[in-house]
Amino acid sequence: MIVLEWLFLTIAPCDAAEPWQLGSQDAATPMMQGIMDLHHDIFFFLILILVFVSRILVRALWHFHYKKNPIPQRIVHGTTIEILRTIFPSIIPMFIAIPSFALLYSMDEVVVDPAITIKAIGHQWYRTYEYSDYNSSDEQSLTFDSYTIPEDDLELGQSRLLEVDNRVVVPAKTHLRIIVTPADVPHSWAVPSSGVKCDAVPGRLNQISISVQREGVYYGQCSEICGTNHAFTPIVVEAVPRKDYGSRVSNQLIPQTGEA
Amino acid sequence: MAEAQGDKTLTLSEQYHLKGNEEKANVGIKPEEVKEVQNPENAASKEVVADKAEETPAAAAAVASEESSGSTPTAVGEESTEDNTGAAENSTEAAPEESSENTENSGEQEVEEETPEVKLETAPADFRFPTTNQTRHCFTRYVEYHRCVAAKGEGAPECEKFAKYYRSLCPGEWVERWNEQRENGTFPGPL
Ligand SMILES: [Cu+2]
Repeated sequence: MIVLEWLFLTIAPCDAAEPWQLGSQDAATPMMQGIMDLHHDIFFFLILILVFVSRILVRALWHFHYKKNPIPQRIVHGTTIEILRTIFPSIIPMFIAIPSFALLYSMDEVVVDPAITIKAIGHQWYRTYEYSDYNSSDEQSLTFDSYTIPEDDLELGQSRLLEVDNRVVVPAKTHLRIIVTPADVPHSWAVPSSGVKCDAVPGRLNQISISVQREGVYYGQCSEICGTNHAFTPIVVEAVPRKDYGSRVSNQLIPQTGEA
Repeated sequence: MAEAQGDKTLTLSEQYHLKGNEEKANVGIKPEEVKEVQNPENAASKEVVADKAEETPAAAAAVASEESSGSTPTAVGEESTEDNTGAAENSTEAAPEESSENTENSGEQEVEEETPEVKLETAPADFRFPTTNQTRHCFTRYVEYHRCVAAKGEGAPECEKFAKYYRSLCPGEWVERWNEQRENGTFPGPL
């Protein structure tokens, strides 16, 4: 049955988790691409070590089997091998550490001034998004709540516990600043395709800067246990072309300012 | 088509209004740079943005007219998406003419044409807050704005950018609370 599902029945929404998924989701930001590249780099060393250690282990088990070799040789010392097996394992972590740190610091760095700021505010148990770059007073801002769609209301093709009523609309190929904070308990804001997993800590504003490279809909889930409905606070980011973003925002914004 | 034209004229007049704000803000930046320790990169990046805008006047104008079609007083909310796309197409056709006219008219006009492109603008990255934690960034911008207002008077144009920054960075709830605290005289910051 599972195999059947694997072969035919999985309709994979590209940027959401799929059943029995083992690898990462497709990268949508340079950050995620970097993470995946690092993963592959490290896996090279990992496989190398795995093969080497397995070989030693199997050889030892084979050659020193009690039936084959009832009296083990009394080797207690070997300077050469001891130097080698100390130095090599200490060089390998270095090769892993260099790209790892490079990626870590490049992820933190904000190189370019962001073009828009979006505030992702976690609540028990929904999310509020504020677009306040276009305000002219403290009161009016483009703010909306994003609730998960209950299981009964799902339409065909929508993912259970992943779909929301109001998606975060962001422009593609644009530097975004996302300010993550909760209004009550710790939450988090995580979108695997964009390589983002940022805890939302009460009283603190965490910044993540991403640049989504392609249009699409990206799904994520809360990654910080935040109460009973923790499973029902998904994140859906919709990346649209820049010009569409402009019209979307102005369409949503202008009725609001008209009221105010 | 006729409707779209009508919209355009209307919005141009509205854009005059916007232009006033923008110019004032630009003027305000210069003295501010001396007072505040703004990093020069900010200014540079702004220029880059402006350059970009100049490179693609058509796109800028398209965005402008799209906005304008939305901002017409006639039943914006009910406007269907079809209408919008139609307007957008129209404007892209008409855009090059419009922009060329403007450049001929005056330099000021040009600045005003850029405002829609500048629309995708937010608080710049601040070298004082280079880390993930931006709590102080938001707070500092809020305090800066109110100190600026205290020094230069309510509605001083050079303070507007700080207002924009703190609104971009701070959650609405925080700003509300701080406003209340200021009214009660219990605001914890250096005002
Ligand atoms: Cu949670």
